[in-house]
Amino acid sequence: MKRLALLAATSALTLGASALHAEPLKIGIIESLSGAQTSTGRLYANAVSYAVARINEDGGFNGEPVEVIEYDNAGGAPDAATKFRQAVADGVDVIFQGASSAIAGQLTEDVRKHNLRNPGKEVMFINLGGEAMELTGDKCQFYHFRFTTTAPMRVNALVSAMKEAGDLGTKVYSINQNYSWGQDMQAAVETAAAGGDFEIVDEVLHDVNKIQDFAPFVARLKSAAPDTVFTGNWSNDLLLLMKASGDAGLDVTFATAYLDQPGNIANAGETALGHYIANNYDNAATDGEFAEAYKGSTGHYPTFVEGHTVFAVGALQQALGTLDFGGGDIDVTKIALALEDTTYETPVGPISVRKEDHQTIRPVVVSKVVKNAEYPADDTDMGFETVEVVSGETAIYPVQDSCKMVRPGE
Amino acid sequence: MEFAIISTLNGVTYGLLLFMVSAGLTLIFGMMGVLNFAHASFYMLGAYVAYAVSSIFGFWTGLLVAPIVVGLVGMAVERFLLPRVHAHGHAHELLLTFGLALIIEELIKLFFGDFPVNYQMPGELRFSAFHIFGTDYPFYRLFIGGIAVVMFSALWLLLTRTRTGIVVRAAERLPAMAEALGHNIPLVFMFVFGTGAALAGLAGAVAGAFYPTNPNMGLELGVIVFVVVVVGGLGSLKGSLVASLMIGLFSSFAVGLDWSLANLLGLFGLGDWARSVGGLLTLELSSVSATIPFALMLIILLVRPAGLMGERN
Amino acid sequence: MPNLRTLLILAVLLVLLIAVPPFLGLGWQNALVNVLIASLFALAFNLLIGQAGLLSFGHAAYFGVGAFAALHLMLAVEDGLPFPTPLLPLAGAAAGLLVGLVAGYFATMRSGVYFALVTLAIAELFHSLAPRLEGLFGGESGVSSMRMPWQGFTFGSMIEVYYLTLAWVVICGLGLWAYTRTPFGRLTLALRDNEQRVRFLGYNAHASKVIIFAVSAMFTGVAGALQAISNETANYSLFGSIVSSQVVLQTFVGGATVFFGPVIGATAFALFSFLVSDLTRSWLLYQGLIFVLIMLYAPSGIGGVVHHHIRNRRQLDWARLAGPYLMALAGGLLITGGVVFLVESASVLFGEEYARLRHAAEGGLPAFDLFGAEWSPVSVLTWIIPAALLLGGIAVLIRARREIDTLWARKDPSDDTLAETAPLGGEA
Repeated sequence: MKRLALLAATSALTLGASALHAEPLKIGIIESLSGAQTSTGRLYANAVSYAVARINEDGGFNGEPVEVIEYDNAGGAPDAATKFRQAVADGVDVIFQGASSAIAGQLTEDVRKHNLRNPGKEVMFINLGGEAMELTGDKCQFYHFRFTTTAPMRVNALVSAMKEAGDLGTKVYSINQNYSWGQDMQAAVETAAAGGDFEIVDEVLHDVNKIQDFAPFVARLKSAAPDTVFTGNWSNDLLLLMKASGDAGLDVTFATAYLDQPGNIANAGETALGHYIANNYDNAATDGEFAEAYKGSTGHYPTFVEGHTVFAVGALQQALGTLDFGGGDIDVTKIALALEDTTYETPVGPISVRKEDHQTIRPVVVSKVVKNAEYPADDTDMGFETVEVVSGETAIYPVQDSCKMVRPGE
Repeated sequence: MEFAIISTLNGVTYGLLLFMVSAGLTLIFGMMGVLNFAHASFYMLGAYVAYAVSSIFGFWTGLLVAPIVVGLVGMAVERFLLPRVHAHGHAHELLLTFGLALIIEELIKLFFGDFPVNYQMPGELRFSAFHIFGTDYPFYRLFIGGIAVVMFSALWLLLTRTRTGIVVRAAERLPAMAEALGHNIPLVFMFVFGTGAALAGLAGAVAGAFYPTNPNMGLELGVIVFVVVVVGGLGSLKGSLVASLMIGLFSSFAVGLDWSLANLLGLFGLGDWARSVGGLLTLELSSVSATIPFALMLIILLVRPAGLMGERN
Repeated sequence: MPNLRTLLILAVLLVLLIAVPPFLGLGWQNALVNVLIASLFALAFNLLIGQAGLLSFGHAAYFGVGAFAALHLMLAVEDGLPFPTPLLPLAGAAAGLLVGLVAGYFATMRSGVYFALVTLAIAELFHSLAPRLEGLFGGESGVSSMRMPWQGFTFGSMIEVYYLTLAWVVICGLGLWAYTRTPFGRLTLALRDNEQRVRFLGYNAHASKVIIFAVSAMFTGVAGALQAISNETANYSLFGSIVSSQVVLQTFVGGATVFFGPVIGATAFALFSFLVSDLTRSWLLYQGLIFVLIMLYAPSGIGGVVHHHIRNRRQLDWARLAGPYLMALAGGLLITGGVVFLVESASVLFGEEYARLRHAAEGGLPAFDLFGAEWSPVSVLTWIIPAALLLGGIAVLIRARREIDTLWARKDPSDDTLAETAPLGGEA
């Protein structure tokens, strides 16, 4: 119902005194708000709304409050394309999206084509969760910014922190979903093997979110006798895998990327204890100020993707702070250029944009599931304890050769 | 050897779970000719009802209540909704159940949210049944399998050895004649549909505590259950059992086998050529194990539409 | 042959479709493109179910194949192949026809439920294999291309895409309609109604069905190609069961027994998704409810109901019917209001935000916001409103229906030409 009220409010505004009002900055969230990935999509959308409310508390931008419009892409790329055009029709300047690399791939292409055809009316895309390497590789472009980690960053951080903690071992098993993200994870684990002094005993790619019974995979895993299992699995694929290995009583440590997805810890139960995760943000890694502020406004501590989503908007806010369009037309290219130069301090460390491919250089938090955690997850007594905050410089990987970015004016 | 034994165990228990869900579907189709698209939704409904009940009254109560509630829902569907579209043919019945599946899924999301809910097996069932080749074998897997076996035997005895069973089978073959003999056929059909739904509900209540209970669980299992029922033979209980075990074993073994068509062609010296062609030829079996059941279903439908054990087309 | 009136209506509609969009905003142009594509898809799909009585649960396969074929051609054009952009959908047609011939050959060996299952399995095969076959389908991020300019048209703006889509949809729509008028199209109907008899008359039933299937797949491929042209990308999710089931929903809500029924359904659903999908989280629930209600109370769909009225327009006492019809409409609106109220309050009360409010209120039930007002979940008044809406609506509807039935019963029975909806799909 939010959008209805907002539409009514904006149309009343424009009817009232359109000439007197400056152009507001419009943010469009094109998320999976229905369909299988609704839960994640909702979190992204909520966090963006929270962070934009902070911008507006500080006086908005260009003399106007920043507007947020939510679009439901129903979890599919075709719908996202439709909603992108709708967003353009609504005059959206900045697009946020997080759940699914496939949709991010669609949106970044849509943005690229739109900007080619409509010079002067550019749109930029802030990618909150599409971690496929090609988004800053083959498909890299000036108006796309990735405000999240990628597979090599997560794996590098996990390897370095786990090694230091003595939990890595020498035999590593890699099990991932058979699509770009899982393949990226597998490749990243292979690359990290030399520096991490471990041997990959076996690797598996399996169908995405189709497997009901992971016991057979655990049987295969067991026969390889690894110390650590690296997996980029998310949602059911992670939960089922961990449960099945817990049921089999295997003594392995899981090194994961999405263990903090709500419901995972509660569902996995004690099985989850001792497993690792590398992600963008965790409450336990901070002094708690941001977490409390977030809770004060939304009623709960930031979970899963909410933290780093807020920081992405925060970085945008900081970039906007350096610009002044004097209440006139908004120039998205200038915003993008300003964002490139922004270094944003988050509670876990600074985030900056790498100009060559618009990947952010950002700290990676490595945590471990423990009992009696400071911030319990899913109403259990378990939660994450920070093992190490790996700095952005350590975690980052070289720019991919496939990235040929065309900068504005070139 | 170790791999074979473990995989067989896993395959059989997973197959038995598939059977539990597909038994109700095949029962309904066999008796009434209705392909119930909402069946997997009944399975999901069972898990959620069991979750809701068990969080207050405990696991065992949930296990008991879930099939009853889902069975009642099934009866209501058969009594009040299906007759309205019956006159328009089986396609409309199928479409109606398809619409119901959509509604059930969305209602679940409305009331329970999009995340998996915390539905767990009780502590007294969470132990390892035995230790084999260095790993524990969870008792709950055997529990699922055991319930499926009991279910199959009970259904089998009910249908073939009791008076009720005779009436039900008569109602299926010659409804008019059975009615003329004084049996209340609409009641029989309602009972059959309710039983089928209740079985799905029971399966959901049992399996939901082992696998995550989330709004997608129906969708995920739904297609596989169709495959089972088709491969086994629409309407054949025995066929469903065999097909469930087959698919369970297959998905269990496929994981460990890095076979591809290229390897097969390699036996004839065509391996390098196949690898250079790529595409389909180099896909590994383990990475497409979810695809194979559909291919199997397609082949069965085309070659022997009555399925492995079906009696008629 | 269609009468003058029908032609006139269609001509006016076409003029409106040509003249109005330039004055609409980008959002509406975009929505209309979706409406047109969905309409063509549903029309092509309905060739199978409405004409031949074959219920396909996997038409996404041919839609997707058409889209990918068009994209590969677009990529070739980008690389310099001199192919006119407006003719791109031909690639979709060719691919759809080809795949349709093969798939149709196998699928039509079966009928009824088995046919539905074969088509479902074929689409699932595409869906699960497509992300593995990167060369053809580009992995999970799909294939992406750009519309190239042709003869002064840049095809950069939405309105150009709209006219291109409109032209193709009108041509294909006419083609499909003309097809149903040919002797072969008539044979299709006969196949649906009595296949055995068709066989006795010496026709090869299987070959005929394969041809129908392929033609349907061909036009579906055009629809897919049009979407590819408009989106400039496609990924494997086009093969998903959602795409297959949406077209089924649209066709049956619109009415499978009337030629233009699917267009009504596709239009209704595409506009519904355009207008409602961003307003409420429960829009899929409403969509499901609408579908089930139509299945239950108007199995011939909206189109079927409208058609029924047009056929009997001379026998009906419209002056006296108007009252009860308005009453029925009011009843429907009341029920809609009640259901929407209940669903939206459930979505609030069981939502995460409310759980937090409850947590803050220490287990109490605080008031919630809905439709710009505040409601207390423990107040009787909150629940009297939807209950009154629902009960009132049902009472009004029952009353209206009784009156409508009496008035219909009074009409001159001699010309009730519309036979009851023929069963679709047939026995298994």
